[in-house]
Amino acid sequence: MLKPILLVEDDPRDLELTLVALERSQLANEVVIVRDGAQALEYLQREGEWAERPAGNPAVILLDLKLPKVNGLEVLQAVRASETLRSIPVVMLTSSQEESDVVRSYALGVNAYVVKPVEFKQFINAIAELGMFWAVLNEPPPGSVKASRPLE
Amino acid sequence: MDPLPPELADCANEPIRVPGGIQPHGRLVALAADDGHLVAFSENWPAAPSLDGWPGWLPARLAALRAGEAPAALGTVALEGRRWDLTGHRVDSLALLEFEPAAEPLGLQAPVYDLARRFLPRLQEAHAVTALLALATEELKRLTGFGRCLAYRFDDEGHGEVLAESLDPGYDAYLAHRFPASDIPPQARQLYLLNQIRLIPDANYQPVPLRCVDARWRPTDIDLSWAALRSVSPLHLEYMRNMGTLASMSVSIVVRGRLWGLISCHDHAPRPVPFETRVACEHLARLLSLQIEAREDNAEVATRLELRQITLEIVSHLAESDATLRQLAEEPVLLRLARAAGAAVVLDGDCWTLGECPPVPRIQELTRRIALLGRELFHSDRLSELLPEMACGDTASDEGGHAAAGVLAISISQVHRHWILWFRPEVVQTVRWAGNPRKPIAAADGRLHPRRSFESWQEQLRGRSLPWASGELAAALELRQALIGIVLRRAEEMAEFATELGRVNKELEAFSYTVSHDLRAPMRHIAGYVDLVLDGDSERLGERSQRYLNHVKEAATYAGRLVDALLDFSRMGRAALKRGEINTNLMVAELVRELSQQQGERPVRWQVAPALPNLWGDPLLMQVVVRNLLGNALKYSRGRDPAVIEVLPLRRPDGAGLEVRDNGVGFQMKYVDKLFGVFQRLHPAEEFEGTGIGLANVRRIVERHGGSVWARGEPGHGATFGFFLPSRAQEP
Repeated sequence: MLKPILLVEDDPRDLELTLVALERSQLANEVVIVRDGAQALEYLQREGEWAERPAGNPAVILLDLKLPKVNGLEVLQAVRASETLRSIPVVMLTSSQEESDVVRSYALGVNAYVVKPVEFKQFINAIAELGMFWAVLNEPPPGSVKASRPLE
Repeated sequence: MDPLPPELADCANEPIRVPGGIQPHGRLVALAADDGHLVAFSENWPAAPSLDGWPGWLPARLAALRAGEAPAALGTVALEGRRWDLTGHRVDSLALLEFEPAAEPLGLQAPVYDLARRFLPRLQEAHAVTALLALATEELKRLTGFGRCLAYRFDDEGHGEVLAESLDPGYDAYLAHRFPASDIPPQARQLYLLNQIRLIPDANYQPVPLRCVDARWRPTDIDLSWAALRSVSPLHLEYMRNMGTLASMSVSIVVRGRLWGLISCHDHAPRPVPFETRVACEHLARLLSLQIEAREDNAEVATRLELRQITLEIVSHLAESDATLRQLAEEPVLLRLARAAGAAVVLDGDCWTLGECPPVPRIQELTRRIALLGRELFHSDRLSELLPEMACGDTASDEGGHAAAGVLAISISQVHRHWILWFRPEVVQTVRWAGNPRKPIAAADGRLHPRRSFESWQEQLRGRSLPWASGELAAALELRQALIGIVLRRAEEMAEFATELGRVNKELEAFSYTVSHDLRAPMRHIAGYVDLVLDGDSERLGERSQRYLNHVKEAATYAGRLVDALLDFSRMGRAALKRGEINTNLMVAELVRELSQQQGERPVRWQVAPALPNLWGDPLLMQVVVRNLLGNALKYSRGRDPAVIEVLPLRRPDGAGLEVRDNGVGFQMKYVDKLFGVFQRLHPAEEFEGTGIGLANVRRIVERHGGSVWARGEPGHGATFGFFLPSRAQEP
């Protein structure tokens, strides 16, 4: 069974377009949608609404940078600080090139970032490539913590 | 100007304070100030005076004398059956008593009372200094009966100029003549300050030696500086005889503690002047001195008031305007401030002139030399002595401009070479000397003789301007203070503006960033949904609807690109510069390769100069600049066969740059200022694609490096774009 993709996006249109992009990239993974950073953490930590979900981490988190309540960077920080979550690949989605600087300069260990292109076709291509890479191939990212993960 | 012959300077060494003798018209005793014993007496006493005979009056009078005070009148005493006017003063450890035969007592008819009654009111009515002096000579002549009274003033160099005279027939006139400073040696001037009236009733006198009875003293130990009877230098007596003067008296005019001038009285015949008359003369001189001081003060105040008004006028004009010092050169009152013919404002390499000035290169040279002196004010009324080439009228007129003989200059900044200069032309002065001051002196007998000729001798003084008056110097300094105040205030305001501007700019950047950032999402959404419609349901749409939707998509995509460009532009302004040495040859070669690949089959001839200068800048940002310029050249030369794009080096001592020239569509120079603006386009978008932000980025990046950009073009004949970056050495 494929691990799900966790998509964290607050903007309904961006959400819809991203879903279309994921759909067109023909990934078989289930896509779990949460609308803000707090929900994302609840899902990941199996708390609140998600307390009953089966154990297991998503294949990849597609994380918007600007989110209500808990923003993308804070989610990332929490993921990287957690023993059980830190190995999840995180792809940051940013609204502009400017924001990508923030992500790049942030020493939290993001696996990739995507500047959402204005042209939809480019966006589909980007999402497809990322999805293939992280969700299907699930290669350990360079410098990822997979190798140092304690044996379960 | 030749120096004066050295011989005359020698009489400055004569022992005039301690001549060891007195004139014969009176007698002198020197007593020890402490115990009153006799130290010395003049040999015209019949015998050594016996103090025992003086007990009635001596002790009280001695006790009245204070060290450091001028000779005091001690009344009349009877000796040897005659009445004597007695004066006394203390000098060193001695008390000197001088006896002169007394005239009949005049009581209230004494000349000093007459002076207060008649002379003082007239003196107060006179306004000009020369009028005061004329009154004083007349009065002095009346009081003393001398045949000639001359009043003269000393200039800064000590030369005396006769400003007023009062003469009997048969006496030579000296009005407006000058007496060289050497006529009165410096030590005599000192003495004239101390002892303000001197009388020589008979130049043919035989001095009476002093005889010391106290073995510890010699006659030449006794300082007679203050003594009215002091025997004068034999040279002076010779000078008097040469002048045909057998009696002379001079009264000092002391203004503000300085020997301002003298009233000098002469007579062809010996002429005694009684003590009471001398007191009146001395009094007259003091009244005169006070009046001169008052007149000069008034004149000074009036001048300063006028100059201050001018200063205020200049400063207020300046303060109302943009306060650039350059503007001073358009204020004709600037000339009036220093009564100058020309004025110049020098701001480092720039110079603006007003009125009659030397040529600008000369002014710059002069300013450089003056600046070396490190003073805030400089003035000279004989510039030729400082800068001989300045004053040469002929060469100056060759270069245009006017020769200047006098300059007054103030410095406005300690950091920069900011000066204001005033110029005065040469004034040829004709001076009438009373005898040639530089005529060699025949000394047949090997002794030093003062000049024998007092006939008028004229001299022309060349290369001088009118001297700068102290009021004018003060006004210049006041203007300087005011200007520095304005400049400082302006600098503060500028700093405030800059801070405010920086703040507003930051706000604006933040605003434009937010706006563009937030605009980007809706553009993305429009483009995205239209794409979805076109992809999924296009067969259900009519052809027209499809075309419309395509336009919507294109418009949204274009708007999104504009927003991206704006965000880029904003980032160019904010990203920190990481400067390094840029290998321009390499950078241009790579960009040419990259751009050529994008061009496909288009015929483009690249002509890159073989050795481009290295640049000092941020390599990433400078690559944006060069890519933009090359990309533009390529874009606007589209349709040329072949397109020719040249990359040319630019080297200057203070930095380097590049120029990119194409043979494309060019532009009209009247739009050159618009080229580098944000979103400014000179061509319709169908013809040449683009957001109109490329050159704005170029300018922004280059200017952030402290450099400059430019463009030249001609419609149909291509364009040249260039930039210049300062070298590393220019970095502050």
